[in-house]
Amino acid sequence: MIRRKLVLAAALLTAGGAIAHEAKSQHGGRVMDAGKYHVELVAKGESVDVFVSDGDQKPIPAAGFKGTAILLVDGKPARIPLQAADGNRLSGKAAVALGDSPKGAVQLTTPDGATASAKFN
Amino acid sequence: MSSRFAAALGAMLLAAGLLAAPARAHEGHDHGAPPPPVSNTITPRGEAVSEAFELTAIPREGRLTLYLDRFRTNEPVRGAVVEVETPEGQKTATETADATYVLPAAWMAKPGTHDLLVTVTAGDMVDVLTVSVNVPDPKASPSTDQPAAAATASSVMPTVSAVLTELRNRFIAKDPILMATAAGAFLLGMLVTVAVRGRRSVPAVALIAIAITLTLGTAAFAHGDEDHGKPAPAQPPVQGAALTAPSEPAADLAQRLPDGSVFVPKPTQRLLVLRTSMTETATFHRAVELPGRVIPDPNASGVVQSSVGGRLSPPPAGLFPRLGTVVKRGDVLAYVTPPVQAIDVSDMRQRQGELDQQIDIVERRVERFRKLSTTGAVAQTQLDDALSELKGLQDRRKALDANRQQPEALTAPVDGVIAQASAVAGQMAASGAMIFQIVDPACLWIEALSFDALTTAENATARLSDGRTLSLTYQGAGLADRNQAIPVQFAVTGDTSGLRVGQFVTVLAGTDAEQIGLALPRSAVVRSGNGQAIVYEHVTAERFVARQVRVEPLDGTRVLVAEGVGAGKRIVTEGAELLDQVR
Repeated sequence: MIRRKLVLAAALLTAGGAIAHEAKSQHGGRVMDAGKYHVELVAKGESVDVFVSDGDQKPIPAAGFKGTAILLVDGKPARIPLQAADGNRLSGKAAVALGDSPKGAVQLTTPDGATASAKFN
Repeated sequence: MSSRFAAALGAMLLAAGLLAAPARAHEGHDHGAPPPPVSNTITPRGEAVSEAFELTAIPREGRLTLYLDRFRTNEPVRGAVVEVETPEGQKTATETADATYVLPAAWMAKPGTHDLLVTVTAGDMVDVLTVSVNVPDPKASPSTDQPAAAATASSVMPTVSAVLTELRNRFIAKDPILMATAAGAFLLGMLVTVAVRGRRSVPAVALIAIAITLTLGTAAFAHGDEDHGKPAPAQPPVQGAALTAPSEPAADLAQRLPDGSVFVPKPTQRLLVLRTSMTETATFHRAVELPGRVIPDPNASGVVQSSVGGRLSPPPAGLFPRLGTVVKRGDVLAYVTPPVQAIDVSDMRQRQGELDQQIDIVERRVERFRKLSTTGAVAQTQLDDALSELKGLQDRRKALDANRQQPEALTAPVDGVIAQASAVAGQMAASGAMIFQIVDPACLWIEALSFDALTTAENATARLSDGRTLSLTYQGAGLADRNQAIPVQFAVTGDTSGLRVGQFVTVLAGTDAEQIGLALPRSAVVRSGNGQAIVYEHVTAERFVARQVRVEPLDGTRVLVAEGVGAGKRIVTEGAELLDQVR
């Protein structure tokens, strides 16, 4: 009885650590924090996709979200407006081809007008 | 009994586990509210750093002021293009005269967290920075501004604790109602027990019950003579922060924070010209200090002396070269006309007369010989001899004239600038006296006196009294003693403007002894109140932390930090003294 309780307590304590998620990429991009959201940036060719999820990696519907990505291509900043697409995806198109994992930052405007941004290095 | 104790322990552990879980939910990063401002008197602000830049954003009165500095040196960046993503699209901030970037931003007044996306283009450097500014709600009172995480740990907790607190307060205040209720409940309980158990011990139980009820009852009403109408005196003294009304804009003041760090807002940093440098571990040579003075390069300087004593007269241009006049090698600077003494004059007249007389005789002889030589009475050789004799006499006569009239020209021996001039028209110059000194200002040497025989000093520098330093090249050292010291000569490399011959300098000559550590400018190390050497580390954009260090002498401008700070830290190198004055 007592031992079981102790074991349960220990399990809960370790569970506290286990909840601590690691920002894992689900779409092959890089995941960063943006305020209370997690943002995954996938840049391929000229298209930029941004996936929004909450702190527990649960996808958040992108409807109502707006965004801007500023990515550095050959030392020049490229400003890419992002529009909500299907699911938790926002997408945009750059004027020039983006290299592999370009540096930059993504700013999200939530439906209630608040902003959150994530920096990608 | 032990099982109960263990159960209680288990319950406690359970509760601890439950409470700990939300706090540890995120590893390495948290999604909670940003850290509260360092002090209530400081306006909300946000900062961001990258490898090249440090950006501080301060919203105030409908405008967003951005301070852009170099990350390593804390030097303001001028002429950069700063673009900010706003709800109205991308806006470019305008640069002001004091190197800040200002943007009208009425949307920043809204309370809450504003995440800004700032694109910085400075020269060929481009960076995208994210700045988070948390604008507090001016209506919310500062006391309720507690971290929300603890309160949301359990929704039941506040109610339970509220009830407990209420109960405790009442108990402390000896609330008559509470006491009366307790006494009544006790009496009721006792009576019920008696009724259940039987009637054998009724009198004793009744006696005890009445006694206890009476005690509690008197306790309920016999409260002390404490305050009845006075308000509770439990208010803490009013702090400075509380005096500022939340509506008026708070003034940003440099201040020492409770944790010992120094908060210096960016405008004050600009005012104090705070500069930092990144510490790097390297090997250094110990340096010795020698007294020295500036001398002209012996191969690029010269003096103009008169070989004969005589009267000075200006060159053909009509003016003596002044101090600072640039002269070329071979330029005539002055003429010296040797004076002719009275005895010399008579001597010369005598010689002149003699020569004139001889010339007259020889001329006549030449004429006679010329006539006779045609007849053959005189040999041609005799005529030739007479002719050459005449020519010789005429040359001597001419030289005598020239000697009396021709002054000596004084010419510049080297290219350079007139460093010393003592020529006045008509002045009599003594033979061997220096009339001009010519120095090439681009070629100067330094002669230092060393008490030890210096080995070839590789990296020598000279420090001027105004703090400027010159880099030197070792030229050589003498062996002959001069005032128990050896003269060592160095050539000044690089810019020599502002130097004068004879100026005293301090020469710092590197020795072979090597030291490994972090070199910092002498001005970076300040003495704290207790006499310890400290340096200030630039930890965040507007915070500086004092670090105690142990320093060793390195050379005139730098010291070696042996312990206290590691490599890769931003240490204040300029303005540390001023930073230390912040209270």
